[in-house]
Amino acid sequence: MTTRDSSGQAVVRLEAVHKEYGTTKALDAVTLQIRAGEAVAVMGPSGCGKSTLLNMVAGLDRPTSGTVTVHGQNLGELTETGLALFRRRRIGMIFQFFNLLDDLPALDNVALAAQLTGSTARQARARALELLDELGVADRRDVYPAALSGGERQRVAVARALMNRPALLLADEPTGALDSRAGEQVMDLLMDLNQIGQTLMIVTHDPQLATRCASRLIEFADGTVVAENNLERTP
Amino acid sequence: MSAVWRAARAALRRRKVQSAALGIVVFSSTLAAMVSLGLIEASSGPFDRAFARQHGAHVTAVFDPAAVSAAQLARTARRPGVQAVAGPFGQTTLTVPDGDPNLAPGPLTVVGRGDPGGPVDRINLWAGRWATRPGEIVLNRPDDPPIFGQDLGLALTFTGGSTFTVVGLASTVSQTAQAWVSPGQMAALRPASLQVLYRFTDAATDTRIRTGLATAVADLPAGSLLAAQSSLTLKRDHGRGASAYLPFLAAFGILALVVAILIVSHVVSGAVVAGWRNIGVLKSLGFTPNQVVSVYLAMVLVPTVIASLAAVAVGGLAAHPLLRTVSQGVGDADLATGLSPWVYAVTLPGVPAVVILAALIPALRAHRLPAALAIGAGGASRTGRGRRVQRRLSGARLPRSVSLGLGLPFARPARSLMTLTAVALGVTAVTLATGLSSTMIAYGQASQRAGLVHTLIHAGQPHTGQTVPQHGDAEIETLLRGLPGAHHVTAVTWMELHLAGYPQPVRAQFLRGDWAATSQTVIHGRRPTGPGEAVATSPFLDKRGLRIGDRLTVTHNGTQTPLVIVGQTMDGHPDMIQADWRTLSGLAPDRKATQYEVRLTPGTDIGTYNNAVKTADPGLFPSAAPQVNTDTVAVIGAATTLTLLLGTVAALGVFNTVVLTTRERRRDLGMLKSIGMTPRQVTTMVVTSMAALGTAGGLLGIPVGVVAHHLTIVAMTGAAGIVLPPSMTDVWHIPALALLVTAGALIAVLGALIPARSAARLTIATVLHGE
Repeated sequence: MTTRDSSGQAVVRLEAVHKEYGTTKALDAVTLQIRAGEAVAVMGPSGCGKSTLLNMVAGLDRPTSGTVTVHGQNLGELTETGLALFRRRRIGMIFQFFNLLDDLPALDNVALAAQLTGSTARQARARALELLDELGVADRRDVYPAALSGGERQRVAVARALMNRPALLLADEPTGALDSRAGEQVMDLLMDLNQIGQTLMIVTHDPQLATRCASRLIEFADGTVVAENNLERTP
Repeated sequence: MSAVWRAARAALRRRKVQSAALGIVVFSSTLAAMVSLGLIEASSGPFDRAFARQHGAHVTAVFDPAAVSAAQLARTARRPGVQAVAGPFGQTTLTVPDGDPNLAPGPLTVVGRGDPGGPVDRINLWAGRWATRPGEIVLNRPDDPPIFGQDLGLALTFTGGSTFTVVGLASTVSQTAQAWVSPGQMAALRPASLQVLYRFTDAATDTRIRTGLATAVADLPAGSLLAAQSSLTLKRDHGRGASAYLPFLAAFGILALVVAILIVSHVVSGAVVAGWRNIGVLKSLGFTPNQVVSVYLAMVLVPTVIASLAAVAVGGLAAHPLLRTVSQGVGDADLATGLSPWVYAVTLPGVPAVVILAALIPALRAHRLPAALAIGAGGASRTGRGRRVQRRLSGARLPRSVSLGLGLPFARPARSLMTLTAVALGVTAVTLATGLSSTMIAYGQASQRAGLVHTLIHAGQPHTGQTVPQHGDAEIETLLRGLPGAHHVTAVTWMELHLAGYPQPVRAQFLRGDWAATSQTVIHGRRPTGPGEAVATSPFLDKRGLRIGDRLTVTHNGTQTPLVIVGQTMDGHPDMIQADWRTLSGLAPDRKATQYEVRLTPGTDIGTYNNAVKTADPGLFPSAAPQVNTDTVAVIGAATTLTLLLGTVAALGVFNTVVLTTRERRRDLGMLKSIGMTPRQVTTMVVTSMAALGTAGGLLGIPVGVVAHHLTIVAMTGAAGIVLPPSMTDVWHIPALALLVTAGALIAVLGALIPARSAARLTIATVLHGE
């Protein structure tokens, strides 16, 4: 696994970001920064706008006003294709429901992310196998998602997210669909990743996940940041 | 409002795109079905239908007025077996002089008739009015205003000086006359014979017709019946022309019907399968299985009924001109009757019935499924179908978006098979149409001698009041050759000859000059190179049991000359031969050419050349030779229309597949975009999936189309009695076939492009967080 430079420079910078869906305000003048090497958890009640915030950072959605800068790139300046290329190089995403392709075995699901960048199948599979090995699921490389356990699926999803060595790893309720044991494993994995320098942004309802993996907690309500606290990680 | 209706309305609102796609498919398919049923109807017994409509004459009998009276003839109506009688009408023959610009030279059968109606042979007076006064004539012309409408008002002068004005144009399937005048005018012309038209209670066979006629005329003086023409003989003659196009019409009709049914079934079953997940939800809410089935039937029936009604209305209007065009191509516009009521009666409930059946099968499967399974059935395939293919493709040296696209069809093999079949049938239609067009264009050009003869020059005839040429026959030929732009000149005349051993006369065309460069294609043997040699048409040889190399003796005014058949021409005229002018010199040495055919050098303006001809000799009447065969144009027009219709329906099938697939795979598409797949890569992936099916469809459809072309051409030429050279039937070459393969891919890509672009614009956030 690649270690990260934790220089403290801002990897994510949001300035006065507003997002409206019709008359509904999803984000209201959000301003925040995430520095390189940080692990930030965003918590809040359902519908408070935390997933919208994650979408803004990932370039999956555009703000109504304000600027979102990730790794020095103002996302508002990018076209749809530019955003796709940006995500490919800079962002890794982990979802609550894994979102693996059912028709591909674990190895090819992971390799896919590199193949989209133009890597050969051989190169992509070698890198994917390396990651699966590091995440402890190399022996499941030829198994299709339907036959994997929840924890294994999420590990495969994490491997896929790390495939292109992203500057920022975004996780949306990564333990939400897992049982407690699998959830624990994923939490350990995320913590390990952060400890070797991977910048993390986790959206979660789970206080245990937040306190265990994050170094900073952002509390969200009604589309805005209501509190920000540095955390002492619990073992 | 019932819960079923409320749920169906909600489903319709939720699936606007799919409902619209279903509506468009049903509309196009209903239209295609109506046109195809119309074509099948037009191709099945057109003569019989037109004959029944016009109360055609089973026998057209001609009597000697010197041997039998009109009263005696009228009494034959009461004889056993006689169903209806029209006449007696006075009949005579007028002679059209050589060189007449409006009518073919030779005898013209004219009948005196008070009106076009009556119990037998209800003549279709399609332009102008009936002849009621002296000097008025109605010409027998096919119901085709653009071509023959200009004949109305013509002044016709016949040999002997009698002059008539054309006041009406009419047609009759019984071919009882070539022209009609009023009974008063006929009396003035002194009828040479009396025509009586009979319908019998039993006219199924030649024997029964002969028996019916024999019974009808049994009491008449012997020898009073001069001639009789049976409707069955007419039907066989008619078959020579019209039947040539019937296999083509039937082939396209059946093809269109199959494609329409296939696509409707495909779209409807896809729509219901895509709704299984919702079926599960409805069941979990307490809907009974029957209520659930009703919801889904209502969901597909609403757009179906609306689209069917619209299509039937549009089809009723649109099919008539198409069928009329085709019938004109077939050679008898009388056959175009529009769509029969049975076509509406079949189509209107038929297409919704296909929809119900197509919807019912998957809906009943869902009916039996437990709710939990139904809920889980709507997503992407989880059974690993096609996984081996996907796995192999993921290691292929292809851009990943392409290899993913190539694997997509294997996830839903049944749906892919339906799409493949639709595209294959679309390509079959395109292949058949392009092949037929190529053959028909080549045949049309050869029969019209397009490019071989550019201008036809008639020599003015004194008996028609035209200016007579100042130059003699040979001088005219020399003059035409000397004018700027002339490349080849052929002098032509026609003559009726008697063939020793055969009762019927034959029509001989004698040619002088460069006729090797301007005359019809010789498909077997060679052109005559000297006197005593002739070429004949295929039906001429068939009709008389002759072959190339056989010897004939022809007679004209008591002068005999031997002829050897040295070649076979492509044309289908059963009584036509062509011979060199030197043969004519032995039969009629003083005969002059009545027409000159000129082929111009490339780049020469036909109008300029014709003006030069007119200036050089005002007694010459040049006219540009038609370069287009109207029959060919009609058939190609119909083939093109149907091909576009079938191609569109096939593309709609692809469109529907892509809509369903991208809807099912929204989550996968969202994930792929989230890991960096660009919109262009998404479009490439989706379009590739269909282009692969399209290419496979092309590869399957081409051989079927080639075989269909071969069978259709064999049936057409057999029916028309023509033989085509291999150059006209072997129209398939590698570049053309390669283009046809791309036709399949093109149909698929056109159908896939819109939903693929829509998938590329999918909002990832909504898809991925909507689970």
